[in-house]
Amino acid sequence: MISGRHIAGRTLLYAVLGVLCVLMMLPLIWAFVSSLKPLEDVYAFPPSFALSDPQWSNYHEALTRLPVLRFLGNSLIITCSSVVGAVLTSSMAGYVLARVRFRGRSLCFALVIVSMLLPAQVLLIPRFLLYDLLGWVNTYKPLIVPAWLGGGAFNVLLFRQFFRTIPAEFEDAACLDGATMWQTYWHVLLPMARPAVVAAAMLSFVYHWQDFLDPLIYLSDFTTYPISLGLRMYQSMAGTWANLLMAASLIALVPVVIVFFLCERQIMRGLGVIGDRGTGNRERGTGNGES
Amino acid sequence: MSRPSREVASFLLPWAAGLVLLTLIPTIASLVLSCVRTEGGVNWRAFSWVGAAHYRTAFGVDGAYEPSGDDPWHWRTLGGRPSDPQFYGALGNSLFYSLFAVPLALCTSLLAAILLNRSFRGMSVVRACMYLPHVLGGVATIVIWSWMFNPRFGWINQAIRGVYLAIDPVVALLSEGGTTGWTVPDWLYSPAGCKPAVIVMHVWMMGGAMLIFLAALRRVPGELYEAARIDGAGPWHRFRHVTWPQITPVVLFNLVFGLIFAMQCFSEAYMLQNRQQEDGLLFYMLHLYQVAFEPPYRFGYASALAWILFGVLAILIVPVLWTSRRWVYYAVET
Repeated sequence: MISGRHIAGRTLLYAVLGVLCVLMMLPLIWAFVSSLKPLEDVYAFPPSFALSDPQWSNYHEALTRLPVLRFLGNSLIITCSSVVGAVLTSSMAGYVLARVRFRGRSLCFALVIVSMLLPAQVLLIPRFLLYDLLGWVNTYKPLIVPAWLGGGAFNVLLFRQFFRTIPAEFEDAACLDGATMWQTYWHVLLPMARPAVVAAAMLSFVYHWQDFLDPLIYLSDFTTYPISLGLRMYQSMAGTWANLLMAASLIALVPVVIVFFLCERQIMRGLGVIGDRGTGNRERGTGNGES
Repeated sequence: MSRPSREVASFLLPWAAGLVLLTLIPTIASLVLSCVRTEGGVNWRAFSWVGAAHYRTAFGVDGAYEPSGDDPWHWRTLGGRPSDPQFYGALGNSLFYSLFAVPLALCTSLLAAILLNRSFRGMSVVRACMYLPHVLGGVATIVIWSWMFNPRFGWINQAIRGVYLAIDPVVALLSEGGTTGWTVPDWLYSPAGCKPAVIVMHVWMMGGAMLIFLAALRRVPGELYEAARIDGAGPWHRFRHVTWPQITPVVLFNLVFGLIFAMQCFSEAYMLQNRQQEDGLLFYMLHLYQVAFEPPYRFGYASALAWILFGVLAILIVPVLWTSRRWVYYAVET
């Protein structure tokens, strides 16, 4: 009797979840189908999901009509160099904010929070003027250097919260062995903070890959465009070839999808700590010597 | 407590340098800029002090002008022509978008998180499906969605036509002709349809908030549910009196950051704007961008616009934070 209700409930759950998943994936499915249609089928009325003759050559054409591979390469350069900087510098700051006691620490932490709430649009124009003064406009520096200077307050917070959950004994042991702070950070704590590293890396990868406003402001030579600007160019130039536009859009999403599936498992663990309140980590029960 | 040693300082240096050079100094510079006229782009000698004139330009309305039927509808409400003809429209667009998109996304993400907060086979696949759009959200998905919303060749209107066809026999009973005369929306090619389309895109990308809700739901102690069950609480009461109090901190977090991001929405507006919308997608950030980075490059006025947006966000968020003491519950920590 119970199992009958159980099975009915499960079936209902799976039905609801299945519908939801299809709904969420629908734009991508629709884009994929459209990308494989010949031009006359894309603009046929009524539109349908039917694919009589998949045109895989559309992808080749999408890549060659504009230098899409070049845009992808530019995006990879910008994104990867930003991610390394963001993870490194934000974990460094997060480490001392979580583990080292010094005067001004709570002030520093308050500044992290305040800078998170300070709206980005206020900084847009002064930063542009600063980079213009430095002669950095039309280079990648305005896009990469900020990542090497703290890597965003959110990442600092993420690392700070995560480092607090690591038991202090590991550090004490390293300390007894005579390790310096740098050695402790690099050889002991950072490897243990893998979920946070992966989460921060993925978040900043996605952020820099999708970033549109900054490249729009700083880059004007189209050979230096990242894929976001490249797609915008595609949209305005090849807007009447919807099949090629869909192919190019899907190509632009491939790196993000790969990174997502590589990191997916670690994300939940890494992000789980954000909601923890600043003062402790009750359910893990790992005192960090200062509660 | 000791002064930070050289070693500690070396760890903090990159972050602190970024904070001072890229956040604190630019914040002050932005305040100064908002009181300066900088016509003609970056010409450091041509700056002149104008005080609060930019703020007056933004809010000011020329009452001598009699708005006609061709003017935007809100000009009549204001009783004249605003000195920045697009300021109120842009602010209204962003507010409209945020006040619909944020609560909708919040509810959807919470519902999705509750649905996923159980163990079943295939859980990680479903979670990935729901979270993926959040990660993919960007120029590429904007392009894809604009194709979805294409009035003639897009899937969405095709689905709506399908619904019309399906309900036609029922409608025919009630009124002559059934659904034959019914039209489909023009979505991104109409003033009324463009904002709902962008709101749908926003709700589609609710995965980030969902993941934060899910993490919070996972941390609700199981004993509480056990106790509530023993006391005879049904599903609704268990949610209202056990789950809800425990997740209010992340509700607040998602609400505040959702508002901040929605009010700063830029790429959707930039990518999707067209003439047929009659400025329906002229969001605040797009207006700011056009003021600053299109001739005559009015950096000073754009800085004032940025601070006005900051003020508007404060007006939206401070009451939320203020009332949060009444509805946000923090577990007593031991």
